[in-house]
Amino acid sequence: MTEINRKSHPELHKISKLNLHKPSKNKLNNGLPIFILDSGNHDVVRIDFIFSAGNWYQDKPLISRITNTMLNEGTKNYTAFEIAEKLEYYGAYIQLNNFYDFSDIVVYCLKKYLPDIIKIIEDIIKNPVFPEKELQTYIKKAKQNHIISKSKVQNLAREKFLQVLFGQNHPYGQIVETTDFDNINTGQLISYFTRLYHSQNCKILLSGKIDDEVVNLINNCFGGNDWCQNLNTVQIEHKIQPLNQKQTIIIKDEAVQSAIRIGKQLYNYSHLDYFGMSILNKILGGYFGSRLMTNIREDKGYTYGIGSILVSLKNTGYFVVASEVGVEVCKNAVKEIYYEIEKLKNEYVSIDELNLVKNYILGQMLRSFDGPFNLADSYRTIIENDLEFDFYDKFINVINTIEPVDLINLANKYFDTENFYEVIAGKY
Amino acid sequence: MIKYEKFVLENGLKVIVHKDTSTPLVAVNLLYNIGSKDENPEKTGFAHLFEHLMFGGSVNIPDYDGVLQIAGGENNAFTNPDFTNYYILLPKENLETAFWLESDRMLQLAFTDKSLEVQRNVVVEEYKQRYLNQPYGDIMLLLNPLAYKIHPYQWSTIGKNIEHIQNANIEEVKDFFYKYYAPNNAILVVGGNIETDEVKRLCNKWFSPIEKRNISIRNLNKEPEQKELRTLTVKRNVPYDAIYKAYHMCSRFDSEYYTCDLISDILSSGKSSRLYQSLVKEKKLFSEINAYISGSIDEGLFIFSGKLISGVNIYDAEKEIDLEIEKIKNEQVGEYELNKAKNNIESSHVFSEISILNVTMNLAYYELIGNIEEINTEINKYSIISSQQIQNIANKIFKPENCSTLYYLAENKQ
Repeated sequence: MTEINRKSHPELHKISKLNLHKPSKNKLNNGLPIFILDSGNHDVVRIDFIFSAGNWYQDKPLISRITNTMLNEGTKNYTAFEIAEKLEYYGAYIQLNNFYDFSDIVVYCLKKYLPDIIKIIEDIIKNPVFPEKELQTYIKKAKQNHIISKSKVQNLAREKFLQVLFGQNHPYGQIVETTDFDNINTGQLISYFTRLYHSQNCKILLSGKIDDEVVNLINNCFGGNDWCQNLNTVQIEHKIQPLNQKQTIIIKDEAVQSAIRIGKQLYNYSHLDYFGMSILNKILGGYFGSRLMTNIREDKGYTYGIGSILVSLKNTGYFVVASEVGVEVCKNAVKEIYYEIEKLKNEYVSIDELNLVKNYILGQMLRSFDGPFNLADSYRTIIENDLEFDFYDKFINVINTIEPVDLINLANKYFDTENFYEVIAGKY
Repeated sequence: MIKYEKFVLENGLKVIVHKDTSTPLVAVNLLYNIGSKDENPEKTGFAHLFEHLMFGGSVNIPDYDGVLQIAGGENNAFTNPDFTNYYILLPKENLETAFWLESDRMLQLAFTDKSLEVQRNVVVEEYKQRYLNQPYGDIMLLLNPLAYKIHPYQWSTIGKNIEHIQNANIEEVKDFFYKYYAPNNAILVVGGNIETDEVKRLCNKWFSPIEKRNISIRNLNKEPEQKELRTLTVKRNVPYDAIYKAYHMCSRFDSEYYTCDLISDILSSGKSSRLYQSLVKEKKLFSEINAYISGSIDEGLFIFSGKLISGVNIYDAEKEIDLEIEKIKNEQVGEYELNKAKNNIESSHVFSEISILNVTMNLAYYELIGNIEEINTEINKYSIISSQQIQNIANKIFKPENCSTLYYLAENKQ
């Protein structure tokens, strides 16, 4: 056997070509936009029903979330139990997610059983009745879970951080209080549902093994005019009112770790600097080898994990560094976070590090486009936010061309740490 | 249907190749047959701490993560009571990087003091984050030693207590490495658009030079049959009471395993399941309730867990769980309900085959438990289970003297 060289890296190949399978766009008979990603070898189907609903559109806390969660708790034709039993009989899964700017119903099933369950899905989306009895059971459970989640430092820090950034009256900043669970009634849910869950306020994304048969089924159930509302979509505006106070400490005496959130309001996908910032953020705290992880976990051992993210919302976005650290090292950790941020403003990122991050991001994109459901997740963002399908091509272009000078400029433009907000929950 | 080819190197490394032409990625999964059950009772948490140290550099490559990231790859690992599993997902063109990395750390770790010192701290923070600083976080740390008196499943993977981790020294790390990390104690699975011949070539180049090591045969004491009901009551600073009931069940090799799995589905998989319908919806005693099997390789646990609705007495609530248990012991499950559970298994099986990484992990696991072909045939073992078998097994397991119950009470009730 020939001697091998274990010291040097085997030949590396740059990811030159990403095959970004794009969805096809179509319309159902009633004009509802439908996006199709036919891919994969498995006989499975995923259907995403995306509504322009979510916290942005509610008049009081929790209405959006509870309405969406209770869609499958009883409809005109089926009880909550019948819905659950039938879907589970066919091995189908349903997820009901509520976000700030959207709500969705996501169905996963084996393709062969889609005809058996589609009528139930149709009833969930068109004819939920929100039975009082089910509502009361749900609220009791949800209230308890809410109280439990309020005892975790990471939740306290997260919600406070958003409140500080956007204000209690803004849907992105509003903190749900336990008492908010007390005055919910079915009338509020029905009125919210009627206003927002109709064919002109919906988009559908199909992924998995999608053929004409699947599309026809969907068109038959959701392509009619029976669920049009002919409502004029009203644009709802909310005013951002950040708090003046830059640092907030929430004391929790028994905590052995403190949760840290540091950051600022920024912008979303549509901003010219978004791609560049997303690369800068990757370097700072967006992957295992990031500077924050390398310094605060792998050198100091202050935490199990630390990261930073750029969060994109429909109407704005924010940047945040997040971690849970031992209470006794919390102050040091905060100091090191700022140290790493300042360093990006003062020193050029080396070509080696930049190349590493570029390759890493390209590899990550390869992974996020692999398999039918990853593909669907990747395009959800595009579809929800009415972005162009060449969004990722543009991102790749920036990855390939960005240089250290661009990054240092971005860092100086946006990492104005004197305007950052800090929230610490635990001990400080 | 998962296709694969298998070969064994002279040094004992088992290699499995799964070809999937639909993906531009390759998944490389390396499973070591060493888990927290192999630990010294005085030095628990070591297998998991060691998993962290595996990223602290190897003899020829100081920075494991960095070079993988340059190659566009991602990696992670997990430790459980039975084994330690490392995986990499990277662009196919850079497959050799994964072989270079994994073979070098199988050859020899760097064993630096710095890495040990830092990772001890990181693991202590992990302990705090997952177990101490979370409401209900220490439940399994209490339940496992209640149910297991002899078998090492009595301690959790994170370890019995933080001191065991804090006291680990570099000599122990070295011993542990040479005792358990070896080609003849590992299973390598490569999945992606790749030919077996290419994998053979890479294996011969990178792994074959590593010598076989002396691996002692695992010889663990079996947990003796439990003869009387065990209970433990603790008070914690949480808002609501919780109850855990753990019954001993068979090992992963036993045909009864599949029946237990189905029973847990009938009881608590989904909103139409028995426990959810009866105890959450109808009687409104619990905010959440679950029944599940621990899924371990040696004799495992069938666990009921529930969080109570405020104001409900925990012993009254327990009686209602017992009623559901009596029901499955005394009445045969109807055909529709049984088929529902089986369909659910079928569906999970199909969905589990979609991700290339998941498939390679599963192949390694099935090889570990002795029969890789089960990855394709196991589904049949579920389909033949009858209502009578379910009733028999329920009667065999769900006996009061076979149960360990944890009453986890809220100190300051809401």
